[in-house]
Amino acid sequence: MAGAASVLEDGSLLSRLDRKLLKLEWGMAVLSGIGAFVLMCLAVISVVGREGFNEPLRGYVDWIEAAMPVIAILGISYVQREGGHIRMDIVVGALGGRALWLAEFITTLLILVLMALLVWGTWAHFDRSFDFAKPNWSRDSSIDIGLPIWPAKLIVPVAFSVICARLALQLWGFGRAFVLGLERPVAVPLVMSAAEQAAAEADHMQGHDA
Amino acid sequence: MTSIEIGLWVTGTMLVMVVLGMRVAFAAAGAGLIGLVWIFWAKKGMDPAQFQWALGVAVKTAGQIPHGKVASQALSLIPTFILIGYLAYYAGLTRALFEAAKRWLAWLPGGMAVSTVFATAGFAAVSGASVATAAVFARIAIPEMLKIGYDKRFAAGVVAAGGTLASLIPPSAILVIYAIIVEQDVGKLLLAGFVPGVFSAVIYGALIVGMALIIPGFGPAVKGFTWKQRFASLPPALPIVAVVVIIIFFVYNPFGGDAWGTPTEGGAIGAFIVFLMALHHGMRLPELLDALVETAKLSIMIFTIIWGVLIYVRFLGFADLPGAFADWITSLHYPPMLILVCILLAYAVLGMFMDAIGMLLLTLPVVYPAVMALNGGETVAAADSAFGMNGTMCAIWFGILVVKMAEFCLITPPIGLNCFVVAGVRPELSVQDVFRGVTPFFVADAVTIAGLVAFPGIVLWLPSLA
Amino acid sequence: TEWNVSVWGKRRAFTEHIHKLADLVAEKTNGEFTMNVSYGGLSKNTENLDGISIGAFEMAQFCAGYHPDKNRAITVLELPFLGVNTLDEEVAVSNAVYAHPAVAEEMAQWSARMLMTSPMPQYNLVGTGEPRDTLEKMDGMRVRATGGIGKAFEAVGAVPTSVTSSEAYQAMESGVVDTVAFAQHAHLSFGTINEADWWTANLNPGTVNCPVVVNIDAYDALSDAEREALESSVPEAIDYYLSNYGELLKKWDDVLAEKSVEKVMISDEELAKFEEIGGKPIQDAWLADMSAQGLPGQELLDLVRSTLKAQRGTN
Ligand code: NA
Ligand code: NA
Repeated sequence: MAGAASVLEDGSLLSRLDRKLLKLEWGMAVLSGIGAFVLMCLAVISVVGREGFNEPLRGYVDWIEAAMPVIAILGISYVQREGGHIRMDIVVGALGGRALWLAEFITTLLILVLMALLVWGTWAHFDRSFDFAKPNWSRDSSIDIGLPIWPAKLIVPVAFSVICARLALQLWGFGRAFVLGLERPVAVPLVMSAAEQAAAEADHMQGHDA
Repeated sequence: MTSIEIGLWVTGTMLVMVVLGMRVAFAAAGAGLIGLVWIFWAKKGMDPAQFQWALGVAVKTAGQIPHGKVASQALSLIPTFILIGYLAYYAGLTRALFEAAKRWLAWLPGGMAVSTVFATAGFAAVSGASVATAAVFARIAIPEMLKIGYDKRFAAGVVAAGGTLASLIPPSAILVIYAIIVEQDVGKLLLAGFVPGVFSAVIYGALIVGMALIIPGFGPAVKGFTWKQRFASLPPALPIVAVVVIIIFFVYNPFGGDAWGTPTEGGAIGAFIVFLMALHHGMRLPELLDALVETAKLSIMIFTIIWGVLIYVRFLGFADLPGAFADWITSLHYPPMLILVCILLAYAVLGMFMDAIGMLLLTLPVVYPAVMALNGGETVAAADSAFGMNGTMCAIWFGILVVKMAEFCLITPPIGLNCFVVAGVRPELSVQDVFRGVTPFFVADAVTIAGLVAFPGIVLWLPSLA
Repeated sequence: TEWNVSVWGKRRAFTEHIHKLADLVAEKTNGEFTMNVSYGGLSKNTENLDGISIGAFEMAQFCAGYHPDKNRAITVLELPFLGVNTLDEEVAVSNAVYAHPAVAEEMAQWSARMLMTSPMPQYNLVGTGEPRDTLEKMDGMRVRATGGIGKAFEAVGAVPTSVTSSEAYQAMESGVVDTVAFAQHAHLSFGTINEADWWTANLNPGTVNCPVVVNIDAYDALSDAEREALESSVPEAIDYYLSNYGELLKKWDDVLAEKSVEKVMISDEELAKFEEIGGKPIQDAWLADMSAQGLPGQELLDLVRSTLKAQRGTN
C-alpha cells in the first residue's frame, strides 16, 4: 500500500492550472483541519458546561454531525492531488514508461466517471433536503435541535466537483505523458518507491521534536 | 443470475481493480455502484428501457452514503485521536517518554530495546495511529541503540514492531472503525484493547530479554542511572499518564462511580490537554496549522475509504451476501475454533498485501456476521455459545483479535507500512534490513495471538467490569 | 412481486407488525407477493424516507421526530400531553391523522403513502438516584428526550441532552444524562432499565410516532389481488402488534421487580402543574409554527382531539 507521492511543476499551462487548483484545494484542506480543531473545542465546551454549570451545549450531537462532512470530505481533492489516497502498488510499481502512464490514465478515468456520477447522487441527496419554499429552506432537520441539514449535505457535491476538476487535470497530465513518452511529467502524482515515500513521511517529522 | 452470484462477480471485480492499482476507496465505491446498478436492473428483468431508471436509483442510493455515514458522532473520534498524536509530538512528549523508559528499564539485558518498546507503548496511550508512532520513535530511539552497539537491523525491527502497539492501546482509530462496522460499544472496545496491548508489549520485552541472554554481543545493558535521575525523568512524562487517566475515566470509572462522560468527549478533552501542553512547549500558529492539515489529510484518507467501502457494503446489503456467507460458515462441519483459527490465518495472508484499515472495512461486513453466527448468534448466552462467551463479549474478543492481526500486517513483507516508514526515517537502513530485523517479532505476535485466543480473559476482563 | 422492507436495529416488539404483515400477505397470495425485511442493510434509519423517494426499496418504517422538517404534518402526534392513554387510542389518532390530505400530500412529496402506524406507549422516564417525582426536582435534570417531549421537559427547567438511542445506556451510566425517556420496549432493548433505580408509571408526557410507508409507484404496480391482500392484512398485523406489545406490558411489572426498579407515582397536583407548563404552551407554539408555514395545524390538532373523543365514546 502506498499513499504519498510527489508532484513536479514547470511553466506550462497544465502546471499553472495545477497550482491554481492547488490553492483552492489547500484552502479546503485547511478548513477540514480547522473543523477537527473546532470539534475538540465543542467537546470541551460541552463537558465544562455540563459539569461546571449544569448547562450542556444544546444539540451537541447535532453540531458534531453537521461538522463531520467538513472534516472528513471537504479536503478530498487535496489528498488526491498529493496522491494520498491509499492504493496497492505491487503492479503499478513494477510498470514504467508508457505502460505506467496508460495504467494511470485508465484508473484515473474510472475514478473520474465514478466521482461524476457521485456528484449527481450526492446533489440529489442534498436536493431532497432543500426547498426554497420552506422555512430555513429546509426539508430535513436534525433530531435534537432541528438544525437544517442541507448545508452539510451540500458540502459533499461541492467537494466532489473539485475532485472531478482535479481528476480531469490528472487525466490530461497522464495522457500527455503517454503520448509524448515523458519520463517525469508535471501535475500528476509520481509513484515514489517505498523508500522515497517513507523519507517524505519522515521528513515531515524532522526538526519538530525538541 | 441470483443476487449472490452478482455479489461474487462484483467482489471479484473490485479485487482486480485494487490489485491493478486503483485507489482502494474508489475501487470499492465503484464496485458497489456497479453492483447496485446490476441489482436494480435485474429487478426489472434487464429490460434495456429500464437501464436509465436502474442507473438513477443506484446513483442516488450511493449518493446518500458519503454524507449519511460520515455525519456520525461515533466516527468523530477518528480525527480527534489523530490530532492527539500530532499534538503530542509538538508537546515534546515523545522525547520525555523515551528518556524515562531508558532510565528505568535500560539495566535489563537488551535494556535499551526494552525501553524503546515500553516508550512506544506509552506513546500509544496518546497516539491513535501506528504509522505515526513508528515514524516518531525511529528518529529518537534508533540512534541511541546504535550508539551502544545494537545491530542496526534489530534496532529498526524493535521500533517497527513497537509502533503497532498504538492501535491496541487506546486511543485507537482502528478500534473505533471496528466498533462502527459491527455496531458495538466504542467505549468497551477501547477498554478491551488496553490489557492485550500491555500483554503484547510484555511479550515483546520478554522476547528481547531472552534474545539478549542467548545471543552474545546482542546489546549491553545500560547501568548507572541513579534513583535521583530516574525520578527526575518522571515529571516530564507524567502528562501522558494524566491524559491516559482522563480518557479511561471518561469510559469507565474504576472506583465504581459514574464515568465522566462519553469516549467522544474523553478523546477531545485528552486532545485539548495535549494542545495546551504543546502551546506551553512552544508550538505556534505555523506548527498548529501544520498539525491540523496533517490531521485533515490522514482523516480524509481514512474517511474516503470508509464511505467508499460502505457504498460496496450497501450493495452487499441489497444482495444479502453477508447473510449467505454466515449461513455457509455455520453449515460447515468443523469445530468452530478451527474455523476461527482459519479465519485468523486468512487475515495474516491478506494482511501481507493490504492496508490494515482497508482490510478490515472490506472483510468485516461479511466475516463478522459469520463469526457471530459461529458463536451462536448476537444474543447467545455464554453457556450456550461455541466460544464460551455471550454475543457482546464475542464481538469484543473477535475485534481485538482482528485488530492484532491488522497490526501484524504492518510489519510483514512484502507490504509492511511500519517497516517502510522506519527505513525512510533512517537513511542508513534499507527496507530489507528492517524486515529482517522485525522477523523475531513475528514469533512474539504469534505467541500473543495464541494467548488471546486461548485465554479470552485477557481481553474480556476489563470490559466485563465496565 | 418481491418487496424490500427497510427497518433498523434488531427485531423487537416495535417491528413485529411488519413481520406479521409479510407472513399474511405471502399466505393470502400463495407466495406470489413476498417481503424481505432488512435491518439496516438497505438504509440508515434517518434516511428511510429518502430511500422510498428514490425507489430503492418499496416499504419502510421511520419516526417523525428523527427529522421533523421531512414530515411536519405528523409531528402533531408527537406533541406533549395530547391525552392519549392506550395503544388503541394511539392507533385511532394515528389513522385519523394519516388520512388527512395535508399528511398524504406531504408524504407524496417523498413518493410515499402511509400504510400503518407502529403504536408506542407513553415515553416515561427511568432514572438513577432520588426519584424526580416533582417539578421542583426536575429543575436542572439532564434528560434524554427528543421532539415535543424534550420541549415539555425543557419548559419545567430540565435540560434536554442529545445522545442517540444506542448511546443512551452509556450516557446514563456515565452521568451525561440523569434520566432517559423511552417506551418500555426501548428501555428493555437499549438496556436503560438495567441502569435504573426508578421508573415513572404515570408521568405520560407524550410519545413518538413511527409510521410504515410504501412507495407509491410500487403500490400502484401491484395487481388487484396483491393490493387487496396488503390492505386487508394491515388491521390483522396491527392487532397482532397490540397483543404482542400487551404481553410485554403485562410482564413489565415483573421486569421492574426483577431489576428492583421503583415504580414512581406522581401526584395529580404535580401532573396538572406539568401539563399546564409543558402542555398548552408547547402546543400553542407548534400551532403558530405550522400556520406560519401554511399547514392546517389547528385542523390536525382538532382532528386528534375529536378522534380521541369518538374512540372513548365507542368503548
Ligand atoms: Na493508541
Ligand atoms: Na504486510
